[in-house]
Amino acid sequence: MINSRMDAGPFEIDAMLTQLLKTLWHFLREVSGENDYPRYRDRALARGESPLSPVRFYLSRLEHKYSRPNRCC
Amino acid sequence: MNPIRKLFWLGVAALGAIGLSLIATARGEPLNAVWLVTAAVCIYALGYRFYSRFVACRVLGLDDARATPAERLEDGRDFTPTNKWVLFGHHFAAIAGPGPLVGPILAAQFGYLPGTLWIVIGGVLGGCVQDFVTLFFSLRRNGRSLGEMAKAEVSEFGGWTALFAVLAIMVILIAVVALVVVNALKSSPWGVFTIAVIIPVACLLGLYLRYVRPGRVLEASVLGFLLVMTGVIGGRYVSDSAHWAPYFTYTGLALAWIIIIYGFISSVLPAWLLLAPRDYLATFIKLGTILALGVGILLAHPPMLLPPLTRFTDGTGPIFAGKVFPFCFITIACGAISGFHSLIASGTTPKLITKESHARTIGYGCMMMESFVGVMAMVAATVLRPGVYFAVNSPAGAVGATPDAAVATITAWGYPVTAQEMADLAHRVGEITLFNRTGGAPSLAVGMAQIFSHTLGMGGLEAIWYHFAIMFEALFILTVLDAGTRVGRFMLQELASHLVPVFGRTGWYPGVVLTSALIVGAWGYFLLGGVRDPLGGINSLWPLFGISNQLLASIALCIASTILIKMGKRRYLGVTLAPLVWLVTVTMTASYQKVWSPNPRLGFLAHARLLSDQLSSSTAAGTLPAARAAETARLIFNDRLDATVTLILAVLVVLVLAESARQWWLYTFGRKEPALSEAPAQLSRLTAQRLRGDEG
Repeated sequence: MINSRMDAGPFEIDAMLTQLLKTLWHFLREVSGENDYPRYRDRALARGESPLSPVRFYLSRLEHKYSRPNRCC
Repeated sequence: MNPIRKLFWLGVAALGAIGLSLIATARGEPLNAVWLVTAAVCIYALGYRFYSRFVACRVLGLDDARATPAERLEDGRDFTPTNKWVLFGHHFAAIAGPGPLVGPILAAQFGYLPGTLWIVIGGVLGGCVQDFVTLFFSLRRNGRSLGEMAKAEVSEFGGWTALFAVLAIMVILIAVVALVVVNALKSSPWGVFTIAVIIPVACLLGLYLRYVRPGRVLEASVLGFLLVMTGVIGGRYVSDSAHWAPYFTYTGLALAWIIIIYGFISSVLPAWLLLAPRDYLATFIKLGTILALGVGILLAHPPMLLPPLTRFTDGTGPIFAGKVFPFCFITIACGAISGFHSLIASGTTPKLITKESHARTIGYGCMMMESFVGVMAMVAATVLRPGVYFAVNSPAGAVGATPDAAVATITAWGYPVTAQEMADLAHRVGEITLFNRTGGAPSLAVGMAQIFSHTLGMGGLEAIWYHFAIMFEALFILTVLDAGTRVGRFMLQELASHLVPVFGRTGWYPGVVLTSALIVGAWGYFLLGGVRDPLGGINSLWPLFGISNQLLASIALCIASTILIKMGKRRYLGVTLAPLVWLVTVTMTASYQKVWSPNPRLGFLAHARLLSDQLSSSTAAGTLPAARAAETARLIFNDRLDATVTLILAVLVVLVLAESARQWWLYTFGRKEPALSEAPAQLSRLTAQRLRGDEG
């Protein structure tokens, strides 16, 4: 495995780096909650429901989050 | 386990043992902080690998074949299967507040050894277990809250006690963290300017996220970080300006009033405008700074200048009164065991867990991380020279109000420090003075500034690092203050709705204003009492906070023990019972001493008596001005109030314990049929798919 990585050409390294950055970006979007709305919208559409608008969804998430203990000492 | 793995874990155990023995026996030459970090990491690794696995497999019986609420009730909003590491980040950000940073700094007055041992051992055997079992039991009950579980599994009374405890801890917690901010910002124009900048920046981000790019948290946070850093750097020019500096220079009392007014306004404003955007900003800065501090400690590997034990283990410490037992274990709550975590672990997180086995990583692992933050805070305290540490953290009432008096007192204790040394340090970090800056935040900031500036080789930037650290602490303390006030307001609204139903409408503005005023008034009163306290406020408020936090932990462990008995796991009861017994012992001893100790520095009633005698004799002699007499009368009232609150908390501990013990007796001797309130088991879709694949 190590040898194959060491033998990788510039294109493979480029692809690996791109993949790494994509994974990192995806992780950051997940942690920040930016992926929550697209996921919710897809689910609602799949169920045949009409989804909330991005603003309504954002506000309803905040209302839920800050109505119970969510930040500790 | 194969021989190589066995050898590896034996090596970890041996390294941990060497580290522990070195930090426990160090005398004379200062020990390098790397040894403390190494010992802690080895113990955490062993605790996670072996103890949490034992709890997961034998005690709780985690079962990945069983569908979690996130899978069964998936709605894309509240219930959503979430990546384990993403949820780890969310949960850690929720539990890690100012407590694990401030508590160890204060407890360092006993030396670094007692606090470090309590953080590491208490964390592995107590705090991590509490968080893990609470998370797991809530997971099996569709994400029920601690109060709901108390009602369903113990009794209605247990539920009401939990609700009262949550309200009490919320009020005291907010008061004490607000006091930390007040003490960090008084007479500090640079610090006040930096924090003042955060508020309009947060509102700007709130408007951006609400109207311009809804939900685009990352770009808003980057923008916010750049603006806040501009504030940190710009603060120097404000501080140096003869024109602007007075606008940002306040006494402790003025700052307390500003924070009270701010807390009220923030509570009645919509969450999207100020609270949420600042919370996003605080979360990213918090995670980044904690990571940077860890890397900084490893790179700087500073020597620990504070001794393992100081002379103040005998209870005569200047920062807070009381012997190492029980006060070290009350002072460090978050970082070792914190009841507040049980509120976070029951509620949002269990609704997002994909597999039951993830509860171990998230429940046990996140608390372990917080415990490690406590160790890092301890290291930040130990890099200061002991004389400097005591000069910064001791109140004027204990060491004297003038620099000369303070250095003379501290040097006489055997911790030499000079007024010139303190003046140089204050100048280097851009402050007017660092004497009597109680509360832990300024000394943590000095320690962090030293670590960062040495690591990055930018000694000239110590002042920037100091104010960055102050901003970092104040940022998430204000978030705790806002979020806590809001939650307290919701709880009051819910309680009031039983009497006046219209209070149940959370958007009803008169109700919002009235309940906000009540909550802010409650913590504001304790805050003002702390600011006026001649012993610095931390001496009275921080132990109260520790006691209320440990009361909540006792309730959580009582619920967990009851559930274990109902599950037929009586032989593993020690897992929750041992930390419970320890906590009850500590809480009751501390409560008794805080109320009844004849030492006026320790006992609330003794202090009230002392002031009362002074007031009577001065009034009789006619030597006391009316304003001073009124102030003394207020201090006497505050002491009695603190004693009453402590007694109520202690009585609650006894009642919860008695009620739980009654339930245990009934179940154990077959007087009552154990009925668990778990959601019915359902085969996980993921497991079902795997099984079908295997059959195919």
